[in-house]
Parts: sequence; structure tokens; C-alpha cells
Amino acid sequence: MIRLVLRGLAARKLRSALTSIAIVLGVAMVAGTFLLTDQINTAFDDIFRTGNERVDVVVSRATEFRSFEDELPPMPEDVIDRVAAVDGVAIADGEIDAIGQLVVDGELIESQGAPALVFSNVDPRLNPSEAIEGRLPENPGEVAVIEDTADRADVTAGTPGVRLATATGTQPVEIVGVFRLGDVSSIGGATVVLTTFGDAQRWFDREGQTSRVVAAAEEGVSAAQLADRVRAALPDGYRVETGRENADRQSEEIVGDISGFLTPALLAFAGVALFVGAFIIFNTFSITVAQRVREFGMVRTLGATRGQVLRGVVGEALVIGVVASLVGLGAGVGIAALIQALFDAAGFGLPAAPIELRPRTVILALLVGILVTLVAAVGPALRATRVAPIAAVQEGASMPPGRLTRYTPYIAAVLVVIGVIVFLYGVFSGLGATEALQSMGLGAVLVFLGVGMLSRFLVRPLARAIGAPIEAAAGTTGRIARANATRNPARTAATAAALMIGVGLVTFVAIFAAGLKSSFTGAIDRVIQGDLILQTGNFGTFPAGAGETIREVPEVAAVQLLRFPEVRTQPGGSQFLNTIEPATAPEVFDFDWQGDGSDALFARLRTDGALIETNLARSSGLRTGDTFTVTTNRGNRSTFTVLGEYRDPVLFTGITVSDAAADALEIPSEPSVGVVRFEPGADPEAAQEAVADRIAAEFPVVEVRSNAEFKEEFEGQIDQILALLYALLAISLVISLFGIVNALVLAIYERTREIGMLRAIGTTRGQMRAMVGYESVITAVIGGVLGIAIGVLFAWALTRSLSEQGIVFDLPWLTLVVFLLLAVVAGIVAALLPARRAARLDPLEALHHE
Amino acid sequence: MTDETPRTPPDPQADGAMAVSARDVTKRYGAGGAAVDALRGVSVDFPRGQFAAVMGPSGSGKSTLMNVLAGLDRPTSGTVTIDGTEITGLKDKPLTLLRREKVGFVFQFFNLLPMLTAEENLELPLAIAGRKVDPEWERSLVDAVGLSDRRRHRPAELSGGEQQRVALARGLISRPAVLFADEPTGNLDSSTSGEMLRLLRRSVDEYGQTIVMVTHDGRAAAFADRVLFLRDGLIVEDHGHLDADEIYDVVKSLESA
Repeated sequence: MIRLVLRGLAARKLRSALTSIAIVLGVAMVAGTFLLTDQINTAFDDIFRTGNERVDVVVSRATEFRSFEDELPPMPEDVIDRVAAVDGVAIADGEIDAIGQLVVDGELIESQGAPALVFSNVDPRLNPSEAIEGRLPENPGEVAVIEDTADRADVTAGTPGVRLATATGTQPVEIVGVFRLGDVSSIGGATVVLTTFGDAQRWFDREGQTSRVVAAAEEGVSAAQLADRVRAALPDGYRVETGRENADRQSEEIVGDISGFLTPALLAFAGVALFVGAFIIFNTFSITVAQRVREFGMVRTLGATRGQVLRGVVGEALVIGVVASLVGLGAGVGIAALIQALFDAAGFGLPAAPIELRPRTVILALLVGILVTLVAAVGPALRATRVAPIAAVQEGASMPPGRLTRYTPYIAAVLVVIGVIVFLYGVFSGLGATEALQSMGLGAVLVFLGVGMLSRFLVRPLARAIGAPIEAAAGTTGRIARANATRNPARTAATAAALMIGVGLVTFVAIFAAGLKSSFTGAIDRVIQGDLILQTGNFGTFPAGAGETIREVPEVAAVQLLRFPEVRTQPGGSQFLNTIEPATAPEVFDFDWQGDGSDALFARLRTDGALIETNLARSSGLRTGDTFTVTTNRGNRSTFTVLGEYRDPVLFTGITVSDAAADALEIPSEPSVGVVRFEPGADPEAAQEAVADRIAAEFPVVEVRSNAEFKEEFEGQIDQILALLYALLAISLVISLFGIVNALVLAIYERTREIGMLRAIGTTRGQMRAMVGYESVITAVIGGVLGIAIGVLFAWALTRSLSEQGIVFDLPWLTLVVFLLLAVVAGIVAALLPARRAARLDPLEALHHE
Repeated sequence: MTDETPRTPPDPQADGAMAVSARDVTKRYGAGGAAVDALRGVSVDFPRGQFAAVMGPSGSGKSTLMNVLAGLDRPTSGTVTIDGTEITGLKDKPLTLLRREKVGFVFQFFNLLPMLTAEENLELPLAIAGRKVDPEWERSLVDAVGLSDRRRHRPAELSGGEQQRVALARGLISRPAVLFADEPTGNLDSSTSGEMLRLLRRSVDEYGQTIVMVTHDGRAAAFADRVLFLRDGLIVEDHGHLDADEIYDVVKSLESA
């Protein structure tokens, strides 16, 4: 039996290959995801462990929770001496961690989707950094850069004209060396600059402070022992870890940040690809089983049992599944590299260690690939067992209908209904993000399945509508193409359904992105009354000093430096704390006050007043006049009184307090966004230029944009993410294209004699190609239309549920038209090979095809 | 009537009167020792308005001859002329267009498109050519083949005889210079066979249609004006009309020869 299976597959090479591709790509996505995230994990483990290689104990300030903007809050410098005094400490040193960019010949060296890190140099006995060129900084004004940054900035020891953008403006520095961190030459897309401790303190507002204290133990004292002793020697409010613990925690945190969304997101795309692949495998097996009715009848007459027929077909699927999964595993390496390249192109640099194939990756990839293939093939295989031996001798014997066929519409309808309910439950029930997404995903799968099953009833009307213009333009070839597309609606439906899934998700994503854009740009238009918006290139914070510098520009009337750190409120939980400067707030912002709120409230904010956003008011039950407490990551607490309520679900979510209140809470001074308002009558262009010029010299990291430019920039960023999502979904679309190719090739094989007849009576090769092309286009557009319809509905449901968050339902008509045209193009592309095969058939041989 | 020697071919000058002509046509399949000569120098002319039957045992080359004459297969050497146009050496496209214009087909297995109606099927050659249907001609054809009330049916809803009558109407719809019928009754029972042959006969008598029919059935060949016998790739007998018994005698004599 196995030999027969293998022989059969070998005889149908093209078909087997086309079927396998669906699984290969899906498995490659799964394998690629694990390979990539493993690479990232290993890379970060490596970076942090190397960083702490010579460190036995790390002391940092204890925090209530992690904060991106304030990862390592400063602590007093004297902690260094207190640690050094602990018995068993051989050496202790302070280290300052900060954000700062190199400026070479006036040009900012940007990091890629990662921070621009500045570290102060520590004692060589604790320091894993080794100069591979020159030396590490020792004197004021000296810096060293990590190898990767040196390469990217094209600098080396002694390069003139180098400055470092710091919290106190750009500082002239002298590069005295290029270093590696142990054997690490690059930290993802981050730039890394090493300064002296004193410089770091001066340049980054850390006078008398340090970010970390690192210490090495004396001979005979273990890291754990030393950590215990240090812990005992220090008061509360400090976190004491061994070097290893510290490295592992940091790695875990950052890997959690990256992989926490990356792994499920990529796996979701892999799941989509496999789901599409399952449709194609189901369809291919259905078709091939139908084509082999006589063969099954023949083996039955020769005495094969139903079980043997079943095992034969399932065996075929198993072989395809195993081979395709193995190939997919290999292709996963390519996919991992491809995804990394995609992320790089989209501006998110990820660090990478060498590829490592963990057993978990192999097992999961193979398991998933083989299971999907088997599940998809089992239905057709069961139908094959129902072929009676008599079929062997019947001319044109056809497949007995499946037992469940007549229930199909009902099953499908039930699936759709359940799917919609599950989807809507995910959307509207206020579950957490993960659960909501899972529920939506499951609902979408059911809806796609159901619509895929139901779509056989939609194939005829859709084909008629789609075929009408083709028939009008192409006449009989179009008519025959349409007739071919509808002669087996179930097949066409399954083929189209594969494409429908990809198109549906692309549509969904496109509409959602359009909604995000509209809501954001709408909010900017409504709320921001300034003329310029300041921001860094990668959503980071920038030195508050930039604001002071701009205030000196004569055209500038007001500057608001917005900070929005994450805080915890009681009641309420995790919130954004927005900070504004009350005096100029009325002229810079236009709050949508609720109740009897007004701009007069700004003046009453002081250090204990807060304004709260409607969504928080609703979820926390806080009302005007109520009090609540705010806790920062550094553990500072304040009590605030609610002065009023406003609605702004996009920009000022959470609570809004005064700068003074934020300062009292020891919120770091670095703003994330600045809003500048000009003096009345100022020429906007000249004023913008004046501000940009002023800021470029001292704070080149700050980007100065008009509101229009800012909105454009935001839309550009959304588009970049959108492009990334499109690229990931493209894999599913490619798989469904292969599905169309496969179905067409099989159909052409079936219709060989018809093609012979058509050619004999005068159909040219060109007409033959066109016929196949039109059929393909009709099939693809059916998938496209259904996909767009489902995508629009899903997006509508989701945007409706998020309307409280300010997301609007905004149909990007042009994009949808482009998707439809792309479906046409997809149809044409998918038809290329099959059409060639059809046109190349020799009419005479075709006429005598069995 | 039973000539022992093949008729001398008509004057080549008179090609204008010929629907199809072949000159010294050979067809060799394969090469070297395994080569098979299906046709070994066949010259034959089919005048307009003639109903010719081509007979011969399987492997005699009768199907090959028909395929070569119809422009479905290319001779290894020699020339074929359809309605005054030499088709040998034509590229695929002009050859296809010529088939479209000048040649009609009736196949053993009907070869109707299952998803089209009877009417769409019979109009197919014109539709593919982008030519207009002559409604009068179509009506008279449909009436003649007795399918007036079956025009909207699909092949699956038609009997074998009806399907073949659709196929015949399809072959005639473009008024081809020659209609090639490849075992047109091979898949029909005897009564529907007779019907089909009478229709072929009528199309010759009433419309002056030229027909070349390949058959191994003597009763079918008896409807023809002329019966050719092939053996081993050569025309070995070329008769005028023969009745079924005479054909049977020729076949027997050829078998024993």
C-alpha cells in the first residue's frame, strides 16, 4: 500500500508539489516564528549576561512597577560607598544609564526602533567592555562607541566633529575607542556610547546620583552571599540582585516586551496561513479523489477493503504532510530571516543570535503541518471509501455524494451564526485584550469556515455578476469560462474561500488602520490648538531643556511639554498621567469638557487637582469632587481631587494634572511630546524655521513638525505597520494563489477532451489561455468580494465596539477598490501556468485523452 | 462496382472542385527502429458534395488519415489542401483559424460542453469565431436534427442520440467546406445510428455538404457515395457507393489477402 501511495504521488508530481506548498509555507511560518523569537531571546540573554559577566551584585532602586520612560530611576551616589564598605566586596562602582545620540558632522545617528543607549564606564574589574580599537573613556569629554554603532555612524577613534546629544544639549566629545561588550558587537538596532561617570552625571542631570551600583565579590564569597550581605547593609527601597539574576530579569523583561506580542502575533499569521492551506488541501484532495473514482472502483474490484482505500488516501496525505512539514521547517529559517528583514525595513531593529533549532520548534512545526494535512484530507478520504466497485467499469462514474452533503447549508449557517456570536462576544464583552483577540480569532475562523461552505450557493450569482463584463467583452470564451467556474460550485467555492480568508483579513486590517488614522488625526484637529508639535523619531522622550530653548524664540507664545508616564491610581488601576502647564493650557488645548467643566479648571489644578477622562470616570466611578491616589513607579504617592471631566479617548486618556504636581511626584522631566503655539500674527513658516534652527543645534533628537506634518508622520507610521501586516498576510494570499493554480490545473486535466474539441473546432491558443484566465479571475474575484464583505463587517463590529476609544469606522474606498483589482491580478497570475498548459495541449492527443 | 485497382486520382488542376486533397502524404510516428509508418504515401481527393467513408482495420491508418486531412495532425511529408488552401506548413494559429472556417467535426464521444445548453453547444464554432449565427440556417438545422424542443437542455439531459445530433448540428453550423466524422455512430445503438447516418446523408443531399467519415461499421459506410479502404497506411480500395454486403465482401477479401 505504501509503495502504491508513493508511486501515485510521484505520478502526480505537479499536483503533489502544489498541494505541498500550502503546508510548506504555513509550517515555515510556525517554524520561522519560533526560530526568530528563540534567536531574539538568546541574543538578549547573551547581551545581559555578558554585561554582568564580572558583576556579582547589582543594586538598583526598587520600583513599584516597570516604566518604559523610567526604567532605572536614579539613587544617591553614596550607595556606591555603602556597598563598597560591605564585607566581602572587592570593588563597587556606579553606572549611569541614559539616552543620548551621537551627532556626527551635525547629523544625528538614529537608533532603529531601539533606544540610543549611553552608559558610564565602570571599573575595568567589573567591566565586560573591551576596546577593540583605541581605549575606553577615562577623562572628561572622552567616549567610546560599540562596534556596530561605529560602523553605522562611520566613526572611529579620533574622528573629529563628534558630539553627543544629552539632556543638557549637545556636548563635544572625543571618540577614544571602539569596543565590544564581551563578544557582543551590536545590541539590536540600539546605538551604544560609553562615557565617563562624571560626564554622564553632568550631561544627564544625575549630579550626585547613579543608576546602578555594581560590585564584585572577594575571593571565596559567592554572589548570593554577597547579595545577602549587601541587602542587609542597605535600607529599604533598593533592589539587590546577583549579576546573574539581574541579567536574567532584564532579559526576561525585554524579551517579554518583544516576544510577548511578537510570538502570538506571528503565530496568528502562521495560523492564518495554515488555515488557508487546510482549505486548499481539502479542495485538492476532494478533486483528486473525484478524479480517481474509477481507480478506487478498480482496487475495490481487486478486493481492496474500504479501510485500505481510506488508508491509501490518508497515507498520501500523511506523506505530503511529512515531506511538506520537513521542507517547511527548513524554509522557516528563510522566513525567520525574512521577518527580521521586514521588521528592520519597518524600523524595528531586533538583535539576533545565530539560528538554533530547538526540539520544541521541530516537534511543533511537524506536528502542526502533519495534523493540518490529515484533518483536511480525512473528509475526501472518507468519501473515497464510499466508491462502489462497479465504478471501475462505468464510463463517467462520479463520486457518491457525501452523507452530510444535504446538511451542509444548515451546518454552515450554524457555523456562521456561532462564529458571529463568538466574534461579537470578543468585541463587545469587555474581555482583556488577549482573550478578546482569541475570541475574535475563533469567531473569524468559524465564520470563514461557514461562509466557505455556504459560498457554493453564492458561486453562481457571483460568477454571473463578475462574468457579465467579461462575457460582454470577450464573448464565448468568457461565457465558457463562467460556465466552467460554476460547473462545480463546491470546488470553486473552496478555491475562492482560501483567497477570501486572506482578503478578508487584509480588508479588516486596512479598515481598522484607516479608523485609527481618522481618529488620531481627528483628535489632533480637535484638541491641539498649537502650531507645532515636537517629538523624537522613535516615540522616545526628549530633554526638557529643549522646551526652555524654544521659549527663547520670539515668535513662540507658549510651549507645553507633555509627559504621560504610566501610573497606578486607586481607584482605577494602571493609567496614563498626562501633564500640562496650566497657565497656557487654555490657549494650546481645546478640551471637550463634560458637565459644567471649563478651561477655568486648568488654573485650579495646582498640585492636588486632576481632570479625568470620561472612560476612566466611567470605569472607576470617580466623579467631580472625589479624591484618589496616584502611585508612581518610583513609589511616590499623591492624593488628587477630581476637578472635572473631559472626553478625549485618543490623546489625553486617563488623568491630566499640572506639571507642578508631576514634579512633586518625581516624574522624570523628559517630555514625550511638545506643543508650541506661536504669537498671534507670526508667520508660521518663518516661526517653524526659527524653532527648528534653534533646536537643531542643541537638541537634534527633537523633530519639529507642523500639525499637518505631524499627522502625516503618524499616518506614515501606521502605513508602515500596515505594510508589515500586509507582508505577513501576503504569505496566506500566496498560498491561496497556489490553491487557484492547483484547482485550475486539476480542472484542465479533467477537461482535456473538451479542450481538444474546442481546439479542433477552431479555438486558438490565445482564446484557450483567455478562457482559463477568465475562469481564474472569476474565482479570484469571488474570493475577493466575499473577503472584502467579511472584512468590512468584522472591521465595522470592532470599530463600533471601540468607538468609546475614539476609533471611527472609516471605509477606505480606494483601498477596497485596489484590493478588488488585486484579486483580478491574482486571478491572472494564478492562471499563467494552467493557461499555458491548456493552450499547449495538442488537440489530437487531448481528444483521445481517457 | 468492385474495382480491384484504386481509382486514378482526379486531375490536380481540378483542385478547385475539391473540398480536401492529399498528395503523397506519409506519417511516421517515432524514429529509428521503433518508427511506425501510419501513412505511407496517400494521395486522395474529396470533391465537394461527396459523402466519403474511410474504412480499414484498426492500425490501418484511417484515423491518422482523417486527422491529417482535418489539420489536427501534421503529415511527415506530402501536402494537404482544404478548400484550395494548402495547410501543410501552416503555423498553429492560421491552421486553427482555417479549421474554424472550413472544417466541421463530429466525434465518437460527442464532446459537448456539459455546462452549456444544446443551443449554445451547437453555436459554439460560430461563437468562438465571433461570427453571427444565421438564424434561418440554425432553425433549419435544429429542425433537421429534430431538436427544436431540446434547445435549452444541457447534454446531461439529452440521450446519446440527441447529443450526437447536437454535435452534428454543431459540425454543420458554420457551413464548413468539409465535415469530418470520426466513428460518429461508435457510441450509439443501432436505431439511433441509422438516424444519425440518415441525417449525414441528408446534409449531403440537401445542403451539398462534403463529408469524410471514418468508420469500421459497413452499415454506416453503406450510406456514403464512396468507400475507401486503407491497409497498412495505403489506400488499397477506392469504390463508389457500395451496399453493406459489398462492403463486407471487400473487408473479407482484404482480411484474407
